[in-house]
Amino acid sequence: MSDQLKSLVERPVFVYLTDGRTLVGQLMGYDQATNVILGQTHERIFSPTEPMKSVPIGVYVIRGETIAIIGELDEELDEATDYDNMLVDPLDPIKL
Amino acid sequence: MAITGVLVSVDQFLNIKLDNIKVVDEERYPHMLAVKNCFIRGSVVRYVQLPAQSVDTALLQDAARRERQQPAASGRR
Amino acid sequence: MDDHAPLEGSGIEEPLDLVRLSLDERIYVKLRGDRELRGKLHAYDGHLNMVLGDVEETITVVDVNEETSEEVIRIVKRNCEMLFVRGDGVILSQESEWKNAPRQRINHSCIKNI
Repeated sequence: MSDQLKSLVERPVFVYLTDGRTLVGQLMGYDQATNVILGQTHERIFSPTEPMKSVPIGVYVIRGETIAIIGELDEELDEATDYDNMLVDPLDPIKL
Repeated sequence: MAITGVLVSVDQFLNIKLDNIKVVDEERYPHMLAVKNCFIRGSVVRYVQLPAQSVDTALLQDAARRERQQPAASGRR
Repeated sequence: MDDHAPLEGSGIEEPLDLVRLSLDERIYVKLRGDRELRGKLHAYDGHLNMVLGDVEETITVVDVNEETSEEVIRIVKRNCEMLFVRGDGVILSQESEWKNAPRQRINHSCIKNI
């Protein structure tokens, strides 16, 4: 069952949406269908020409179908990662 | 995108949980550098590459033949 | 069901029965996204999820030249010892050695009833 997300509740997470957008936030809850609630959400916008932009968007309810990956964000690693010099395309949209 | 990692669990939707992950082409996809473990929604998975030595192909073949005897949801009759 | 009589004993009643005949054989699988696989079929289920061994994947990529908008077709090949394939992506599967395939064992009454 979707209890696989249990260990991530209240944890900072990284979400890869099927359209290629990436969010980070606190996992507040989830259900069977992997619908998810994120708190203190930021969209991370990657660009090959500009430093990564982190845009605060508050509380987000995300429909499970639009989620590709949810990962636990290692805060120390995240802190140490040089996003300013990460000049890359956004993640690919999922095409199935 | 391809991710390697230790397979922790799989559920009925084939959602996958991986530990100790590494994105295969990190140059091109550094977005997840700070992610160590993740949950992958089954519906976005195309393939799972498996270590061949840990797959019992005889057992698998048997299971596949047996599944026909007790048809799944798709079976007629 | 009487209309299955011609196939009695052949064990072929539905499409997946044909896939079963390919177990332990090398098959060709056409997938969405211009991908093809050739490999030995170890297992499958009702979703056409499959496990293939000694797989060769062929991806057809179309590169478009930005200036001339000319299309160049590029073939990418990859190999994999053991691969689970999600049924979602499967368009068709056939035995690679089609001349040895059980064509004579299929007849139209079977097809009609599927």
